[in-house]
Amino acid sequence: MKISQRRIRGLVAIASTVSIITGSLIAAGPAQAATKDLNIGLTLDIDKLDPQGATSFATVRALGLVYGSLVEVGPKLDIRPGLARSWGFNAEGTQLRLHLRPNVKFQDGSTFDGADVKASLDRILDPANKAAARANILTIKTITVDGLDVTLDLTIPNVAILAALDGVNMSMLSSDDIKAGNIGKTVNGTGPFKYVSWEPGQSVKLAANATYWGKKPKLDTVTFRVIPTEASILSALNAGTIQFSVITSPLVAKQAGSNLKVYKTPGLAYVTLQLNAKVAPFDKLGVRLAIQCAVSRAEVVKTASSNEGKVIGPITSPAYASDPKARPCPNVDLAKAKQYLTDAGYPNGLTIKTMVAPTQFATASGTAQSLKSQLAKAGITLEIDAVDDSTFVTRWLAGNFGSSVANNGGRIDPDTMYTRYFTSTGNLNKVAGYSSATLDANFTKGKSSGRVADRKAAYTAISKELEDNAVWIWLFAPYEYRIAAKSVTGFIPLATGSLLELRKADMS
Amino acid sequence: MNFRKVLKFPGVSRTLSVLTTLFGISVFVFLVLRVIPGDSITGAFGIETGALTPQQIAELRVYYGIDKSLFMQYISWMQSFLSGKFGFAYSTGVSVSTLTKSSLPVTIELAIIGTVLGVILGIAIGMFSAKKPGSTRDFAGQLFGLLALAIPGFVLSTGIVTIMANKFHYFPNGYEYMTPWENPWMNFQQMMFPGLVLGIAVAAPVMRTTRSALLETVDKDFVRTAHGKGVPNNKVQFRHILRNSLIPIVTMTGIQFGYLLGGAVIVEKIFALPGMGRQILDAIMKREYATVQSSIMIFAIMFVLINVATDIVYRKIDPRILK
Amino acid sequence: MRNKEEKAKGALHYYLQSTSGVVGAVLVLIMVIVAICSIFGFTPYDPVEQHIEDILQGPSAHFWFGTDEFGRDVFSRTLEGMRRSLTVSITAVSLAATLGVSFGILAGYVGKWFDQLVTRVSDVFFAFPAILLALAIVASLGNDWYDTALAIGVVYTPIFIRVARGPVLTVKEMDYIKISRVLGFSSFRILRKHIFPNVFAPIVVQVALSLSWAILTESGLSFLGLGTQPPTPSLGLMVSEAQPLAAFAWWTLVFPSLFITIVVVGLNLVGDGLRDALDPARRSS
Repeated sequence: MKISQRRIRGLVAIASTVSIITGSLIAAGPAQAATKDLNIGLTLDIDKLDPQGATSFATVRALGLVYGSLVEVGPKLDIRPGLARSWGFNAEGTQLRLHLRPNVKFQDGSTFDGADVKASLDRILDPANKAAARANILTIKTITVDGLDVTLDLTIPNVAILAALDGVNMSMLSSDDIKAGNIGKTVNGTGPFKYVSWEPGQSVKLAANATYWGKKPKLDTVTFRVIPTEASILSALNAGTIQFSVITSPLVAKQAGSNLKVYKTPGLAYVTLQLNAKVAPFDKLGVRLAIQCAVSRAEVVKTASSNEGKVIGPITSPAYASDPKARPCPNVDLAKAKQYLTDAGYPNGLTIKTMVAPTQFATASGTAQSLKSQLAKAGITLEIDAVDDSTFVTRWLAGNFGSSVANNGGRIDPDTMYTRYFTSTGNLNKVAGYSSATLDANFTKGKSSGRVADRKAAYTAISKELEDNAVWIWLFAPYEYRIAAKSVTGFIPLATGSLLELRKADMS
Repeated sequence: MNFRKVLKFPGVSRTLSVLTTLFGISVFVFLVLRVIPGDSITGAFGIETGALTPQQIAELRVYYGIDKSLFMQYISWMQSFLSGKFGFAYSTGVSVSTLTKSSLPVTIELAIIGTVLGVILGIAIGMFSAKKPGSTRDFAGQLFGLLALAIPGFVLSTGIVTIMANKFHYFPNGYEYMTPWENPWMNFQQMMFPGLVLGIAVAAPVMRTTRSALLETVDKDFVRTAHGKGVPNNKVQFRHILRNSLIPIVTMTGIQFGYLLGGAVIVEKIFALPGMGRQILDAIMKREYATVQSSIMIFAIMFVLINVATDIVYRKIDPRILK
Repeated sequence: MRNKEEKAKGALHYYLQSTSGVVGAVLVLIMVIVAICSIFGFTPYDPVEQHIEDILQGPSAHFWFGTDEFGRDVFSRTLEGMRRSLTVSITAVSLAATLGVSFGILAGYVGKWFDQLVTRVSDVFFAFPAILLALAIVASLGNDWYDTALAIGVVYTPIFIRVARGPVLTVKEMDYIKISRVLGFSSFRILRKHIFPNVFAPIVVQVALSLSWAILTESGLSFLGLGTQPPTPSLGLMVSEAQPLAAFAWWTLVFPSLFITIVVVGLNLVGDGLRDALDPARRSS
């Protein structure tokens, strides 16, 4: 049989197509095993490249690997050397001297020194830059630099400022970049990974920083990939297409397959029913206490959070944590709740509204539903006012709500955690809805004392006042789940949520 | 030449009506967005907005361009839209056109795959059903049509994702999205399931339309004549019956393509595809006004163009429509 | 001309001859009865009552459809959900039909600039992807069930405008209408006596189909976090809430999905039956 020219051409075309397809199959397969590429799935994309202004979950996680801060918070919430090798306060606690690590290089090759620290801190303090951590370091009066020694003089005694130097919002930037106005445009840090590229809406790529001051990371690349739902992220983990993720929904985390390792740690963040004491009927102490006595935190955890989470009091900072038993009605007491209501002038119960953004965090809607069901038993009808995230934030900031179900971030120091809410001059005091002279005094005391025992006394007093007045109804600390493929080794989760310890992780 | 006469030209009045529609859409989307509480600042800063001083907020309002009057905001958006930049997406630091350049092809590819799969499935099952009305196979075909209509797309999507990932450890959408030019095989794998979900949604109405159109045409004289002339059965089926049933099928497909652009919102979210639907959804949440406005305008323009295209296809397949 | 009663009888007769129509009517009827049960509280449990000791129990004699993560009875919730879903979709479609039909008929009948205006405005709404339009409206209005209904209603109005306007345009040009006009009958009378009966059939069919779409749109909105709000369930909300539970508590997902499927299938079959019954051309086949 004669094979026509045309048919041969067709066969060649088919053969080459097949070879291209198989070729790409192989390329996508184990051929790349030589490099260690970690793919991390997050539900949201990063939203800026300025670490000091980073507020979104994804931006904080991603840029935290690229930049470094003066101190670091370790796995046991101990404060460890970062870019500062050592430090010391004067006796009054009004001066902090930091000694910087020598021979640290920025990723563009320039050397890190005291001038960069001063420029970075000045940039944070300048209100024009909208740095997220500005309020935490307002007590810095002057910054003096002598080579690798930096001295911070403070307006008042403030030992709490040391912990405030940790985190991506306190990133040290190159003074040259700041001068050139490059921050937010180019990415140049001292962290274990360096920035490679950002495809908006899709992924951020990082690669190991060969000049990192610590041990060189074992991972070659780290890619943050946007996968919009946690269920799909888990599917990608189960299928092995990504190797790492941070998940907040306990229901989703429960479905992790046997090929995965789940790191479950209570974070510093806490879920609370915020009561706005400036708005009726929450201006009546009796109403607030009635709610306090009618709510079983354990039941909220059991139903809304699949029994995953830790019942907490106001302060979640481990060294100063409030005792959740030390509150009015540590166990539900419906009779007492009704008594409080009667005394407050609501013998027949009342109806209250609570604002909640169901898409804001995994357990938002469940928490509201559990509260509604529990409060009903005390004669309090809870109406759920569900809004979208941005609406929630707008109304929350304006104090335009009676109560709201919120998931607020915690800090390792109670000072940075609550000063902004519960001191009369705090920038979120309008949101907190409550302040008092004794609270103000205790916050000042806690800030200024260098002795842990004194600080503890001050924060215990604060905690007690907040609970006795049922300022908010603190509920529980949800777990944060970091889920990794079993092939990822050496990762240590941090309570701050930082993924910094990926610098020690390896892949087999 | 007077104005009324100009309007009589075939293309002119059509173009004018398309333009007024698009203008109406632009005003409507602009206003709806402004009614939603929150603005670009709270969208970007979240609860940290509380830490901003009034002066900072004033500066940010200038930065986001929301300090101007609504009218001026509309004008400057329109200017930017018509210049092809489509405005600025603040959270990514690039223009909306840059975002759209990578996201629009994803959605179009998805919609095309969905439509093609839907039309093939729909016509095939429709023909399968119509061949013997009232038979078991007709029943099966119709049942498929009804179920495809009734199962919410997000249930089907999550079902597929969960089963494929947990049972077969297969979830290609977890890999970085690949365009057909970078890696056609990977792109095919990533598009297959979301395309199928959309395809099933399209197949249902197409199948039902096909079936009833076929049943109507079967009785027509020219079909009987063809049979009588001894034209082979298959040929009658395709040449005569199907061809003459195409008009309602094309209409239905045109409508469905528009629907697909919207359905893509949910499917892109579950299958992690970086398309337009997700771009709009994210932008609504972040109050990125320019992104939402421009993306919806692009959708609307496509929708209108598809309507025009459907009209043209009509004329091609049915010469009787010639007014 | 036959009188009204005869006409109605005829339509009913033809409807009952259509298998799909009868099956659809039965399915929808069951779902409506289910919803009515919930209105009068004929459910085994209070649909929002939480049984903390019985969390995520599978179907049993106590809880026919099992319980969800709050220990709520899925059966009672499904009934309640059916009621909410029907309430939302009936309200939405009533709104859409009333607005759409009035504007559609008027636009077709009055013509000229009014027709232009109505057509343009409905084109504007038509060109929006439905779910995005509903999303934007819900986000600006709020999340109560009537906001959702309003949003869906607005989304579906242009469909009714088109359905109503088309036949009016055809009928208007018919001789007997022209004669009625010449005879000086009032526009209202012409509309009521001659035009409305002609658009009635396609509208009724459209109502049945739109009801089913509205249920699905509401469930899509719930999935995106902007539909009916907890704890009172709609079917869409139940299905979207059950998504993460599906792997270890299938009953939370399967039963509400099943009810959605039944009611949507039923409404579509009713639509088919109505089309056959009301369209004289099809009666022969």
